[in-house]
Amino acid sequence: MIDTAAARAEILSSIRRNLAASQPFDAVYHEHHAPVAQPAAIVQREKSSPNLLVQFKENLEAVAGKYRVVSGEQDAANAVQDIVNELKPRTIAVSDSARVDALLNRINTNVRVLKNPSKSELFDCGVGVTEAQYAIAETGTLVLESDRERSRLTSLLPPVHICILDAKNICGTMSEILQIVQNDLSRTVTFITGPSRTSDIELTLAIGVHGPRELHVIVISDETNA
Amino acid sequence: MTQVTSETFDQNARVALRDTQLRGALDNLVKTFGDRRKEVIKTVDDWEGLRNEARRIKDETLLNLDRYLEQFTGNAEKAGTVIHWARDGREACGIILDLIDAHDATNVVKSKSMATEEIHLNHALEAEGVNPVETDLGEWIIQLANETPSHIVVPAIHKTKGQIADLFVEKTGIEKTDDVDVLTNTARKVLRSRFAEAEVGISGVNFGVAETGTILILENEGNIRLTTSLPKIHIALMGIEKVIPRFADLDVFLKLLPRSGTGQRLTTYQSLITGTKRERDDEGPDEVHIILMDNGRSRMLAHPVTRQSLACIRCGACLNACPVYQQIGGHAYGAVYPGPIGAVITPQLIGLKKTKQLPYASSLCGACREVCPVKIDIPALLLHLRAEIVDGESDGIAAETQVKKKLGERAAFAMYSFLWRRPRLYSFGARLSRAFQNTIVKNGKARSGFSGLVPPLGAWTHWRDAPAIAPKTFREIWKEELSKRND
Repeated sequence: MIDTAAARAEILSSIRRNLAASQPFDAVYHEHHAPVAQPAAIVQREKSSPNLLVQFKENLEAVAGKYRVVSGEQDAANAVQDIVNELKPRTIAVSDSARVDALLNRINTNVRVLKNPSKSELFDCGVGVTEAQYAIAETGTLVLESDRERSRLTSLLPPVHICILDAKNICGTMSEILQIVQNDLSRTVTFITGPSRTSDIELTLAIGVHGPRELHVIVISDETNA
Repeated sequence: MTQVTSETFDQNARVALRDTQLRGALDNLVKTFGDRRKEVIKTVDDWEGLRNEARRIKDETLLNLDRYLEQFTGNAEKAGTVIHWARDGREACGIILDLIDAHDATNVVKSKSMATEEIHLNHALEAEGVNPVETDLGEWIIQLANETPSHIVVPAIHKTKGQIADLFVEKTGIEKTDDVDVLTNTARKVLRSRFAEAEVGISGVNFGVAETGTILILENEGNIRLTTSLPKIHIALMGIEKVIPRFADLDVFLKLLPRSGTGQRLTTYQSLITGTKRERDDEGPDEVHIILMDNGRSRMLAHPVTRQSLACIRCGACLNACPVYQQIGGHAYGAVYPGPIGAVITPQLIGLKKTKQLPYASSLCGACREVCPVKIDIPALLLHLRAEIVDGESDGIAAETQVKKKLGERAAFAMYSFLWRRPRLYSFGARLSRAFQNTIVKNGKARSGFSGLVPPLGAWTHWRDAPAIAPKTFREIWKEELSKRND
């Protein structure tokens, strides 16, 4: 193995040497270019709608995500059932979320449900179901934390991802979410905004290049008027 | 391979200008990304404030880069990441090869990373018998075609659907098609089998957070999530300038980068990775290695003008906005980083000797500076590099030519300043040339046969008309107007 301790010492000393060398130039430079002043805590918020649920729905649908709001677990199970009836997958993979497990138990189907799916099983699987720990209204984004939920590849490998979201966990902004997830930082935090997409061929949008082609978000909310 | 170099930029540009298909593709790029960017930046309240804040964070980082790198390293190591340091591209390639060897790996997948392009990692690996598979759709197309990327964000922008279809017919055996969905699906199928057997995944890094040792990688396709979570080993190559101080700072860059790059509010996926798999985790690599690479970056810190280059977040907005890039595309630059940012970074990375033409590949219109999310003053950087070339500080120009050039220039400027200091002599000279120009000027333009200035100034008029001297000077008009009023 190459000794990178020597490289470390050399790179750090090169940084210090070059920064020191720039000081006389900096003095002259700053006479003409005032350094950007520290802003008085600008609040960077995207233009927002008063209702987080509505805002989340609009932004999710803008990126081709499918949205459905339901009023309880039975309704959520029915919503999953509808998707399963329509797509008729051979297998469904689920994360280890207790809520997902409860929902799948209410479903009336002879489709095989894979718990703790292996990688190779996931490659062949038709639908993946996970929960999301949080969501961001300003961008229509789902937030998945590896410390809270296992088998997260169920959100990526199957061509259809169904995600269950508690309306209480929708936050307004990215900034709020960063504060929350940093608090007890998981090994991996994944943000998902819509299905997988690419524009690499003539900038033509194609959905589902490596990840899911369909993203269904089922929001469980007490206020069913949304 | 159709590789061209920066040394022949002039010729490369001329060839590109005749490529009508390329220019069609570039038109499409400019319209699509340009319009989308304009629309999407309206979705934040204070775009200017956001840009200022981003620049402030970058400046703060760069002025304390040693400290933030040490903090990043400490926190990443605490989370189980192995940190390696590479002075240059050769060392970085060496470290990656060693890691691949140490695990007896042969199946390597890669996600898009400009840093790995910069060090020509694929060539280095292939020379040792390892064949990494690019998994970003655009990069995979480029790899199959044995070409180089022509854009930082959309590497295969120069290729048509038809060319890509032909390539896929040849390489994957599909039927000829013009359906983008079929082509995309082909990539999905082929690359999935590569992912299934991959032992090592190599990625880049968009931001490294000093406060937590976290790396953030953005994407739309999902291949980065696969590259960083399926194989046992994840290796991330990170330029030393990618570090930022605080986790909360990510908010600013997550708003700026997707809007500037692809005109999206947010890309489809962001992966925030802190260390290796934990006890409870059933997924993720057993080992995470981050290689912190200098490769010419630390010397850019030595001057406030050049230091700005390190604030770049590789969004590609300056490419899309540049009237030069818009006409010639990325390959003409003959370097990994094209466009305005390439014209300033490439000479600093590989030296002015082979890149002397790049700082001149600009009309200094400032469109790049206008769109830059971190407010890099690219025109100032271009002028700084031009001055370095002229001063002969670069090792490229032979000492004798330097002296000759300087003598000629010095004589011209000595003459100019001599006249400027003597107003009467200056105005006499102006009147003299005005009288003299009547023999070659007609209607304010030079007559045919006299279309240019004499050498060496003729080089300037080769592409432009020299303006005729006005019939009256401003001072003469002023005097006349005054006397009229006094009458």
